[in-house]
Amino acid sequence: MFDDVPSSQLSQVGHNGKRDDSLEKLTGEATYVSDMTFPGLLHAQLKKSPHARARIVAIDTSRAAALPGVRAIVTGDELDYRLGLYVVDKRILARDEVRHYGEAVVAVAADTIEQARAAVEAIDVQYEVLKPVLHHMDALQPDAPLVHPDLGSYSYMAAAFTPQPGTNIANHTKLRKGDVEKAFAEAEWVVEREYSCPSVQHVPLETHVAIVEWGKGDKVSIWSSAQSPFTVRNLFCHAFGLSHNQVRVQIPYVGGGFGGKAGIGIEPLCAVLSRQAGGRAVKFQASREEEFSLLPCRSALTYRIKTGVDAAGKIVGQHMTMYWDSGAYADYAVNVTRASGFSASGPYEIPNAWLDAYTIYTNKPYGTAYRGFGHVEFHWAVERHMELVAEAIGMDPFLFRLRNALRPGSLTMTGEEITAHSGNVLKCLETAAGAIHYGDLTNEEKARQAATGWKIGKGVAALQKAPAMPPFTATSVILKMNEDGSVLVNLALTDYGQGTYTSIRQIVAERLGFPLHKIKVAFESDTDRDPYDWQTVASKGLLLSGNAAILAAEDLLHKAYAVAAEALHANPCDLGHDGDKVFLKHHPKKSVNFSSMAVGLALPNGNGIGGPLIGVGRYIAQGLTNLNKDNGEGFPAIDWTFGAHGIIVEVNEETGEYHVLKIASVYDVGRAIHPDIVRGQAIGGMLQGLGTAICEGYIYDQQGRLLNPSFTDNKIPTAKDLPLEIECYVVETPQVDGPYGARGVGEHSMISVAPALGNAIQKATGAELMHMPMRSEDVWRALNHKEPIDNWITKSPIGSCRSAPEARPGGGR
Amino acid sequence: MVYEFRYLAPKSVGRLCAALTEHAGAAKLLAGGTDLLPNIRNGVFKPDYVIDLKLLPGAAKLQYSQVDGLIIGPAVTINDLLRQRSVRRLYPVLCDCAHQLASHQIRNRATVAGNVVNASPCSDMAPALLCLDAVAVIRSAAGQRQLPFSQFFTGVKKTALLPGEFLEKIIVPAASSNASGRYLKLKRIAGHDLGIVGVLCTLHQGRRRYAVSSAAPTPVLVDGFSAGDGPEDVERRVLAAVSPISDVRASQEYRRHMIAVYARQLLQEVR
Amino acid sequence: MRISLTVNGQRYTVDVAEHKTLLRCLREDLGLTGTKEGCGMGECGACTIIFNGRVVNACMILAVEANGATIETIEGEATGPGLSEIQTALERNNSAQCGFCTPGMVMSIKELLRDKPKPTIDEMKEAIEGNFCRCTGYVQIIEAILDLTGRSAEKGELKHV
Repeated sequence: MFDDVPSSQLSQVGHNGKRDDSLEKLTGEATYVSDMTFPGLLHAQLKKSPHARARIVAIDTSRAAALPGVRAIVTGDELDYRLGLYVVDKRILARDEVRHYGEAVVAVAADTIEQARAAVEAIDVQYEVLKPVLHHMDALQPDAPLVHPDLGSYSYMAAAFTPQPGTNIANHTKLRKGDVEKAFAEAEWVVEREYSCPSVQHVPLETHVAIVEWGKGDKVSIWSSAQSPFTVRNLFCHAFGLSHNQVRVQIPYVGGGFGGKAGIGIEPLCAVLSRQAGGRAVKFQASREEEFSLLPCRSALTYRIKTGVDAAGKIVGQHMTMYWDSGAYADYAVNVTRASGFSASGPYEIPNAWLDAYTIYTNKPYGTAYRGFGHVEFHWAVERHMELVAEAIGMDPFLFRLRNALRPGSLTMTGEEITAHSGNVLKCLETAAGAIHYGDLTNEEKARQAATGWKIGKGVAALQKAPAMPPFTATSVILKMNEDGSVLVNLALTDYGQGTYTSIRQIVAERLGFPLHKIKVAFESDTDRDPYDWQTVASKGLLLSGNAAILAAEDLLHKAYAVAAEALHANPCDLGHDGDKVFLKHHPKKSVNFSSMAVGLALPNGNGIGGPLIGVGRYIAQGLTNLNKDNGEGFPAIDWTFGAHGIIVEVNEETGEYHVLKIASVYDVGRAIHPDIVRGQAIGGMLQGLGTAICEGYIYDQQGRLLNPSFTDNKIPTAKDLPLEIECYVVETPQVDGPYGARGVGEHSMISVAPALGNAIQKATGAELMHMPMRSEDVWRALNHKEPIDNWITKSPIGSCRSAPEARPGGGR
Repeated sequence: MVYEFRYLAPKSVGRLCAALTEHAGAAKLLAGGTDLLPNIRNGVFKPDYVIDLKLLPGAAKLQYSQVDGLIIGPAVTINDLLRQRSVRRLYPVLCDCAHQLASHQIRNRATVAGNVVNASPCSDMAPALLCLDAVAVIRSAAGQRQLPFSQFFTGVKKTALLPGEFLEKIIVPAASSNASGRYLKLKRIAGHDLGIVGVLCTLHQGRRRYAVSSAAPTPVLVDGFSAGDGPEDVERRVLAAVSPISDVRASQEYRRHMIAVYARQLLQEVR
Repeated sequence: MRISLTVNGQRYTVDVAEHKTLLRCLREDLGLTGTKEGCGMGECGACTIIFNGRVVNACMILAVEANGATIETIEGEATGPGLSEIQTALERNNSAQCGFCTPGMVMSIKELLRDKPKPTIDEMKEAIEGNFCRCTGYVQIIEAILDLTGRSAEKGELKHV
């Protein structure tokens, strides 16, 4: 919508300004759930499983129940509820069997947190330890223990997913296009490689926290640090069999989410405790350690790609197998698998494609959505693979990318045609390459290399992502005019830092023609007040809610014009307006102020007309379809945001240490609504991507215990870890159905940072890195052709980092 | 903290010693708290008493004299060291190690004494104190004794401190002033992190020494080099003194490699 | 145990449990919830306050250790009706995203500029090294410090191609 309006005609969109929320955040006045308290609030603590897989033999809570201040103790035996977004496979508390280290087994609520902790320590749980299945490739073996023996009895969303009862496969996504075997037979070269990455943590600075009050008449109030109020309400009501009218979810400021708070989390736990405690509100905040193991992480991935290339360097066929480690529950991981499946080639044209993507249960903390929704992980593979294939066929990797990149007329793997409006991956690639002077070293770089002895290399990687969402995803925005003619915006999309509200505010101001200061977006979200939004995920917020905001603004103006037309005895088509009033275009002095119409216009004789001015905007994704479950055909993408990174790195070949000297990031955002916020997303995501590239990852011992559930041994980048130089670019190929041509960019900045780095390291030193992160030791090992430190399941609690190959017969190799 | 304990803050050494004796085994000493309090939070320690020594007279004393050398009281923080001009001028090695310890906030609170009484293998201050011939002044109800740091560390998280004893001060001899040197610390990120390995090399009046952290159950001092030792000699001697393990931070093989690289590099750089 | 402390120029006398951290005392007993807890282990810096003139992690200090101390928190930063200079610079640079690290970040910047009115870029990075931010990638925070030190010309911007 309004994608073709030139920038020169826009007064709000495309301009920088203050964020709506900065005052509250800069003064510490912004209230997060972790800051909230109520009279009589109870504090919850959890007894968690020390085992990856065990049968619960007995739970003795009698000592704990007798302790002072203890108001409620709940075990899984008392709770006959299952939860699940797509596959309904999870209980609120483990029952009969624990399926991962850190899983909640017993919950306690007490007057103080000290009392709750003491009670938890007084609970005895007897386990019969069972052999866990830890590596997702092991879980595919025919004799592997089943994480969910009852998978066949679970309900699931059949339109999109295919669980396989009797196995550990929670979902199998297929894509078939053309004839791959024929393509391989005719190809000049065929290259097959395998890539992998471990589970990682989102690390929102505010850990998951919720307060729940289960009132009389089963009226439940939930305050949660969550991304999606309506999803929390919907899943909660399904689990407990409550009417949606009985449950209210409120979300104040949220201290970061990154996908980890997209679905439902600890709310049901607090709810059952509150119910048992007679309706007293119960608060639970995860410790940082619980954030790592009780709450979900990002799935690990093993990705095998076999590519056929013709003599001209054009990919003719590709065979792809993705093995996603779901952990103990399917949560979002099945949809990560589905969304990654249809995007699995990256922004390249694959005329003949065969893809199988599996979501695999293991006895580990479960996987969920994380910024990029699988694309960070599989682009690591795809963009390393493009580099290695190019090397194998003797072509420059950048030219190989250009040769195969999607362009107008190309068909995606699901059969969608790329148009001139879809975004321009070629321009992104060329800009990234140009920004780092790809191809050779500048004189300055040569001098630096000579002085330090560290080898300098340059790499590029491209990326694509479409929102992963149901084809009928919908949202709504309501504008309410206040008595003074200012406008309040209500929506249930949440802003936990992305800056979407600031952009929505600009869009509303632009469409209304009002000054920015007259528009307020209400920050806290509330299912009792705000109109429906599906979820705050998928980089779809700006596009869908932005369109709804435009439609709401138009509805508001339409209603105002109707009142003004009556008051001015005019035809609405003769009316115009500015920020204060509606006037007759041919007699501008004849006007009615918005403020006098805001809550209904009073005529001189006291008669009223109109009524409160409220604008309603509804938007639902257009033209999308479910994917054919047998061959993947269909239209899954409301938009594709393309991008590329270029990285310059210097590497010490003796030690494997490296410094990122420069990173240039480019995205085709359609239109940058607020350039500073786009840049904030670009840099923030880039550094988050760099974190997973350089150091982040879960490490387990052979019993499935997480060895690094804290910042002591699970580092994230600090200010000192920034590349020396950072450049951010946008290409603006307007999205026809995006608000003012905009498309989402929240997740994309994190994608393909790692492969750009891996490619640069390889260019500098020849080190072939197939696994991320790339710690200095990994680089050193690759340089010296030593066996990699593999798979992140170590042999003993403090022993080797190496996995035990004997534990993985066949191992899927 | 979600574990409860009593807090004592004796204002004299006598009372501190008495409290340590009375609550032996049930008390932990508190200085900066940057190690103790996380350990209590995590349930690693569950003391009944936490005894704060920061109110002791002279606890924050940081003083240099040509007679006594540098005296570091038990409440002297890492940043106290870095901020004091005489320390920066006379003990650059101490400052190099101090500067690489944790983050600025932690350096404002963590104490030099605390960093060594924890006896963590990855202590950043221990290498400097070892190379500079520092001495631990140990106090108990029974009196005072001195122990060179070369005998202070006895195992992983174990020191020569006996029950009832505490580290009253650290003395870095005046004779060690003006030692030159450099500390190379390998980390997983450029920001604050525990060391994968740390290698300090000092040169003082022709005498070369190495100290290595994160490479053995205790920080290790390697001494007795001669002027003619080449890179291979140095590497061999240093590697012979360490026994690194594999853990979540790195493999034993990589640790040995990096210790060797750093040992050779420092031989070049510390001249 | 009864303690007295001065926070943002206000004197408080409170009874606190001896095992309680200063962070919890500030948040729960004094109602100053601007200072956040991100890890409870001194790693993330969300609880950064200024304690007797120096930035520290309030999660690793006992409240009883603060008896007699002078403390500055985010609530004392904006003394007038508007924002402080530091806050204004952060606002101008859109430096806060989720905002959870922001109060601690402001404290670290405050100590930095008190000690070093003209810090180098490396000194800026070192000053906020102990403050994790997962959202911003730090750059727009550092650019706010550039603004505060008369180096706005060194800031970057989004480039359109």
